[in-house]
Amino acid sequence: MNPLDILYGAAGAWLAAGLTGLLAGSWRPGLRACCALSALAGAAAAAAGGWSLVYGNTRVVAPGPPTIVGGPLQLQMTSLAGVFVAVLGIAAVAIALYLPRYHEPGRGTAVYLAAYHLALLACLAVLAAGGMVTFLVAWETMSLACYLLILRHLRSDETARGAFWFLALSEMGFLLVVAAFVILSAKTHATQLDVMAARGHLVPGGWRAAAYLLALAGFGFKAGLVPLHVWLPEAHPVAPADGSAFLSGVVVKLGTYGIALFAFRLVPLAGSWPGLVTMGAGAVSAAIGILYALRERDLKRFLAYSTIENTGIIVTAFGAAMVFRAYRLPELSAFLLIAGLYHVANHGCYKTLLFLEAGVVEHATGTRDMDRLGGLVHRLPRSTVIAFIGTLGIAALPPLNGFVSEWLIFQGLFQGFRTGSHLAAILIVLAAATLGLTGGLAIYAFVRGFGIPFLGMPRTPQAAAAREPGQPVAGPALLAVACVALAVGAPVMLAALSRAARTVTGTSLGPLLLPGKLTVIPAHADFSAFSPTYLAIFLVAACAVPLLIYLAGRPRAGSVSVPVWDGGMVTFRPRMQYSAMTFSAPTRVTFDALYRPSVSVRRASDDDPAGRSGPVHYEAQVTPVFERYLYRPVVRAVEWLADAVRPLQSGDVNLYLLYVFLVILLAYLLGAV
Amino acid sequence: MPLWFARGLRRGVVTTRYPARPDDSAAWLPTPPAFRSRRLTRDLVDRMVAACPGTALSRRDDTLVFDVGACTSCGRCAEAAPEAVASSGEFELAATSRSVLIKEIPIRGDEP
Amino acid sequence: MTPSLDEAEAARRLRDTIAAQFGRSLHIRTLDTGSCAVCEQEIRLLSAPHYDLHRLGFFFTPAPRHADLLLVTGPMVRAFDVAARKTYEAMPGPKVVVATGACALGGVYPKDPFVHGDVGQVLPVDVWIPGCPPSPLALLHGLGVAVGRLAEKTPGLTFIADGGQG
Repeated sequence: MNPLDILYGAAGAWLAAGLTGLLAGSWRPGLRACCALSALAGAAAAAAGGWSLVYGNTRVVAPGPPTIVGGPLQLQMTSLAGVFVAVLGIAAVAIALYLPRYHEPGRGTAVYLAAYHLALLACLAVLAAGGMVTFLVAWETMSLACYLLILRHLRSDETARGAFWFLALSEMGFLLVVAAFVILSAKTHATQLDVMAARGHLVPGGWRAAAYLLALAGFGFKAGLVPLHVWLPEAHPVAPADGSAFLSGVVVKLGTYGIALFAFRLVPLAGSWPGLVTMGAGAVSAAIGILYALRERDLKRFLAYSTIENTGIIVTAFGAAMVFRAYRLPELSAFLLIAGLYHVANHGCYKTLLFLEAGVVEHATGTRDMDRLGGLVHRLPRSTVIAFIGTLGIAALPPLNGFVSEWLIFQGLFQGFRTGSHLAAILIVLAAATLGLTGGLAIYAFVRGFGIPFLGMPRTPQAAAAREPGQPVAGPALLAVACVALAVGAPVMLAALSRAARTVTGTSLGPLLLPGKLTVIPAHADFSAFSPTYLAIFLVAACAVPLLIYLAGRPRAGSVSVPVWDGGMVTFRPRMQYSAMTFSAPTRVTFDALYRPSVSVRRASDDDPAGRSGPVHYEAQVTPVFERYLYRPVVRAVEWLADAVRPLQSGDVNLYLLYVFLVILLAYLLGAV
Repeated sequence: MPLWFARGLRRGVVTTRYPARPDDSAAWLPTPPAFRSRRLTRDLVDRMVAACPGTALSRRDDTLVFDVGACTSCGRCAEAAPEAVASSGEFELAATSRSVLIKEIPIRGDEP
Repeated sequence: MTPSLDEAEAARRLRDTIAAQFGRSLHIRTLDTGSCAVCEQEIRLLSAPHYDLHRLGFFFTPAPRHADLLLVTGPMVRAFDVAARKTYEAMPGPKVVVATGACALGGVYPKDPFVHGDVGQVLPVDVWIPGCPPSPLALLHGLGVAVGRLAEKTPGLTFIADGGQG
């Protein structure tokens, strides 16, 4: 009995759920049954993922007959993939609890459920792939299934556009990943991942570098590294809430899994430059991601940019782990790998939670625009509390899980001086500084992202009309509990992850990392120590003590309740509150060079010959830098090429016959030679 | 500064006893009038009531009703009847009830 | 009407509470209900070195939540009703309301559609300080009376210059 066996059960349950959804999703009982199966499978998958962290790598299994594509289906459950499978499982459970209240039963939902479960199965297959072909087939299936997911609400051009961005960039990434795998496979003469890893030394240095860079770029498309991230803010707003949650919580993580797979298993590179490049790409992604997040009014676009930021943090951790490995510091390398995987788990929990809550908000009020929301804390109290826990987590505030993983990453990065190389030390410090900037901006961004929609007064009647009954609560609540558990149970998590890291890197960190039961010594014995569990207990107690003093000592008699002091105004209008854009206005001024805002102001008095004043129209737009300066030229080049080649397909049969003749002649000549 | 601090610690008081001594800068403040009731006649009082721009002065039978709270110390009543009006010199006029500020002055000028 | 024994006792106890709590540390919130601002200038002078309010432990505060005493000037313009009541209600008890200036005491503006005429129509006033404007010394005396540090003088004054009693 090993984790892979449990995953068979989970996969079977998901397959059954998908079929149930497809056939019976038009009726509410069918929807419920499908989601129940899905939740059970998710729980099994989460358990299997957690177990595999500790179990280690299973054997490669080739169940069933050889597939059409050429090569048997090869499955293997590795420790590295364990975290990702656990995240997949928990997210699947939460989404399964969320689905029945969010989607209405019908034909569209039936197809959607089928596509969603296909995507789940494909993700599982990617993570449990033991062979190259299995990996690639599963990867492409996942991309296509997610494309169908995004198209759920095909009501406007926007949806098609967003889905198309996703598909186009997924395919570009896929091509690069295929190229990377083909290089490795050709040089090692193997398709099984274990064998490719063992024969890694057969691949010459240049090819190895090429394979890694291709993989970094290819998986970077999926993970959301800047400038390959463009599909994220386009696809997330138009997908349904649980689809966005699935994309950000799971699919984007698969991109980081791919990078980790190549970096730590398949292509261990000797030099430090791949690690530095990866670390730099991650740091830049993190900073740019959060900077763009601060200019977004749409809740889901904001969360999408935040996903880019967190991907950047994870990739930075992986990159730094590669650098330390190159400088022969295996403990630090393993430690940063652990920190990066921990951040994967944390982000999987709180980002999924936040997207599901964004869906609740959209469902309840009909809008995603922060400037039309407000005051939801009174109307959706439970959702607000859950969203608040997610916000605390993603803003990396103690004592929650985001703080623990980011703290560990920082502790690892601060050891950069131990590499002994000035260049590496400076670059690592720069990466740490960038992550510090990102962390500060993330707190700022999430104060805005939580405060503007949930707190204050409703800015529009739609926001005031939001009602709690009927909104999905169980799914997000489960994720909130998971966030708290990941924080308080950090020692357990770290113990499991260090077992996993031992399987991947061969270095055992257990006793160094966790000398006592509850204390963690990050990175290095002389550097620091802290205990997330005690921290959580202490913070809760520190808040409880003043509360108890107040409750014991407050005056009992004659206390009057009066309205909030509002300056004595006759009416307090919601428009007197901060708007989302004014709250983040300081960043517009500071980072002008990045945003390149185009501002247009039209005054009614400009057009009026008498100069009478009237409405003023103000419009500010962030220049889409990557679309304009990177993608559009590429697209134009491709179009130019297509135009240049068009004469070859003139439609003239005689010309085609000439082609046939030329090719036969060529083949004859080549054969003769 | 250290002296004051030490004194405050010793006495347990950090604010000043007020008033420490009378303030002579008040000598030139305009203040509400005081009336010479033996010089007041009904005609005079009616003239003063007409001259008052506010509601401070009014006559009820043989009594001049003077609302101190309504008085702005404009001096028009003194202009109208200089022999009957003097400056009271009182400016510390706070009261805990409104009625205490309404004073009645008997009109004695008509008496034999 | 002389107050009954219980009322007098209650009043004395309230006076003692106020004196004990506010006598040496008082936070004052000023409220302009439509005055000409000369009373405000005199009030501002209280912070100046010559009159120096702070040596008595009295301070100005803009927040009604922190205020003990509401110092009201102006004839209570009707448009200000709501704000005045909100300010008064925002102050936690015990609180004292002091109306100052001839406008606030009802001597300048008659009641009409725009103006109440005197502050007592809207707020429960505890101490009245006459004057137009009241000099800073008058204000200091009034504040002292409001917190029980000084004694009222007005009940003993007759405003009769030649000794003829009424």
